[in-house]
Amino acid sequence: MPIRDRYPGYRVLERRDHWDDATRRVVMDRVYNVPEFRHLDDHQRATLEALCDRVIPQSHRPPQRRVPLAPWIDQSCGKTVLDGYRFDDMPDNPTAWNWGLEGLDQTAQTLFGHDFVDLEGGQQDQVLESVCSGNPPGEVWQRMPARRWWIYVALRQISGTYYAHPYAWDEIGFGGPAYPRGYYALNHGAPEPWEPRELPTEEGRERT
Amino acid sequence: MKLNVQLSPNWVLDYEMREYPFGEPVDFCIVGTGAGGGLLAQRLARYGFSVVALDAGPWHDAERDMVSDEAGSQRLYWNDLRITGGTDPLELGANNSGRGVGGGTVHYAAFCPRFHPSDFRVRTQDGVAADWPISYEDLEPYYEQMEREYPVSGPAYYPWGRPHGYPYGPLQAGTAGQMLIKGCIELGIRVVAGGPVAIPGGAFGRGRPHCIMRGFCLVGCKVGAKHSMAVSHIPDAIRNGAEIRDRCMAYEVPIDEEGLVTGVRYFRSLQDGRVVEEEQRARAVVVAGYAIESPRLLLNSTSGRFPQGLANSSGLVGKFLMAQAAPVVWGRFDGMIRQYKAPPACACTEEFYETDPRNDFVRGYALQSVSPLPIAMAHLLVDEDGRFGEPLLAAMQDYNHYACIGVLGEILPDERNYVSIHPTLKDQFGIPVPHVHFSLFENDRRMMAAGVQKAREVLEAAGARETHFVPRYAHLVGSCRMGFNPSDSVVDQWCRSWDVPNLFVCDGSVLPTQGSANPALTISALAARSADWIRRVAPTGEFRRRAPAGVREAR
Repeated sequence: MPIRDRYPGYRVLERRDHWDDATRRVVMDRVYNVPEFRHLDDHQRATLEALCDRVIPQSHRPPQRRVPLAPWIDQSCGKTVLDGYRFDDMPDNPTAWNWGLEGLDQTAQTLFGHDFVDLEGGQQDQVLESVCSGNPPGEVWQRMPARRWWIYVALRQISGTYYAHPYAWDEIGFGGPAYPRGYYALNHGAPEPWEPRELPTEEGRERT
Repeated sequence: MKLNVQLSPNWVLDYEMREYPFGEPVDFCIVGTGAGGGLLAQRLARYGFSVVALDAGPWHDAERDMVSDEAGSQRLYWNDLRITGGTDPLELGANNSGRGVGGGTVHYAAFCPRFHPSDFRVRTQDGVAADWPISYEDLEPYYEQMEREYPVSGPAYYPWGRPHGYPYGPLQAGTAGQMLIKGCIELGIRVVAGGPVAIPGGAFGRGRPHCIMRGFCLVGCKVGAKHSMAVSHIPDAIRNGAEIRDRCMAYEVPIDEEGLVTGVRYFRSLQDGRVVEEEQRARAVVVAGYAIESPRLLLNSTSGRFPQGLANSSGLVGKFLMAQAAPVVWGRFDGMIRQYKAPPACACTEEFYETDPRNDFVRGYALQSVSPLPIAMAHLLVDEDGRFGEPLLAAMQDYNHYACIGVLGEILPDERNYVSIHPTLKDQFGIPVPHVHFSLFENDRRMMAAGVQKAREVLEAAGARETHFVPRYAHLVGSCRMGFNPSDSVVDQWCRSWDVPNLFVCDGSVLPTQGSANPALTISALAARSADWIRRVAPTGEFRRRAPAGVREAR
């Protein structure tokens, strides 16, 4: 499934002068103050970066427009309680990442005889499909439910980090922060005068 | 002290707030400032009682603290450690909690339907769950008060439950909400535009401007248009002499030899980062921390008289926890939707709310408009099938083509769903943490499946090319239920503990059943009803010794 540039040239950040101060500060901080790695070791970091590349492939974008994901996951490993709850069959957040990254290696070793980071992309995807299925090979997955880790730890955090970023908003045509300006064009999915139109597809999907 | 909290662009809350020394008893100490506690603080202060209301979190200043950003809004949620389990463990945190003045109302969608008359008689009518010790008629005048005070906008004629109209006209619906309306009309299903939602159609009062259709209701309204207790009742509570004491985490309600509670012990986080322990003494205590924190506080307040937890002689504190089924169904449309615009709460149908003998389940569900922002949408997509890589990116590129329907379904109360205290884990204050146990049972599963199927049909009738769904749950109620006697419940019809005459629980915990209606309005209506009763009986010494049955219930 090729990734198409549906909103060419759309840059939600170019509207930042129309945002309120607090929102602008939060979003700009996310873009320009990427945290240093502090919690994961070099091998874990390489494994995590490889995982992020498979979950959110960004090779189709120019390097300066790629969203850093792994540093934010590493930062989250400084917090034992992330968002107010822990499943009673799961360890705390840093442990879940430690175990999960180790589990990727165990599954990769069983399936392909190499660590996750040393596999080529298609093989990495097979490892991830195995984890997603809920019953991958590997000792780690005997003490931590694989499907739970995949959905709630890996995918939720990585996708949540990506879609928090204005470059991702450009890709999906999200209007972004709208205070104090607000929205006025509400019918038929119409764009505001300052919002992008979607490029028509071959199916003729775009009608605005 | 002089307050300085910006509640909207036009309104800085700059009242001189009265402060009470914690060592001297006030009439009421309230734990929590949400739909129950916030309302009660306002009413009791107006009725002349001295009131201190504690909240574990801070004030949320609309200009400084609220942002138009999903990931940047963590401070609005209860993010302390909780453990969740059972066969269908609930997600907690952002989903169903609030922390700070106004509680969960700060970031709720503000759907404010009433319960139906049938909700109060489920045991009688369907032979399951429980009846309430009160009827719809008991609550109806308080529903009317709340709809004017929040206030609630909606259709001139609302055809379900006890038909009624709304004092404020509906807001314009976004395209996503219009798909719910369109699909229902195609199928001949009665549907209403305009919530009911607690966002007035115009400016309200001197400080609350009209809605600007920003669409970020679920991360707090910077505009101050959407209702929260912080913009509706709490300013009035303060004006009438209540103290709202923020950043105070209650951990124990102590009791004396006579079996009366004497106040609330809490950890107070000071501006300089220090944490101090204080005890606010009070002649009566109201626990209003919602359906996890209220039972947690009671269960953690053990004594010789109440070794299983305060007010828990029935053993029912924490039991019968309910969440509503809230699966999200989304459809992909050829045309543009742009679901991020306009308040998500803008249309609904309650056509399937009541028991229908043709179904293989009792009770029912509502269908409501919902409009996930990008992160929430991505989480729906990954939850559905664990997709990643290009399939995930491609599905998210359709973001502007999705319209969503939230099924809001009645899960029946079951004793096997409960809140307990974790035997070893503690939070950052050293307070034992709650362990939430939640499982679905057969009726719940059948109801959810039917609701999802109906939502799919509606979206398809509106023109969706394909539909998807994932299970979700919303709201938390029921864990300190009200009932008819001390053995079937924790509190009586006035939200007062059967065991302790000067202790109240006044939040969603007291609901015996939950219907398919968002609970905030009902929680506030119950609080307003309790406040009127408190005003009436306080002079009789009722809160020192419970009057015998018969006298007590005289109205």
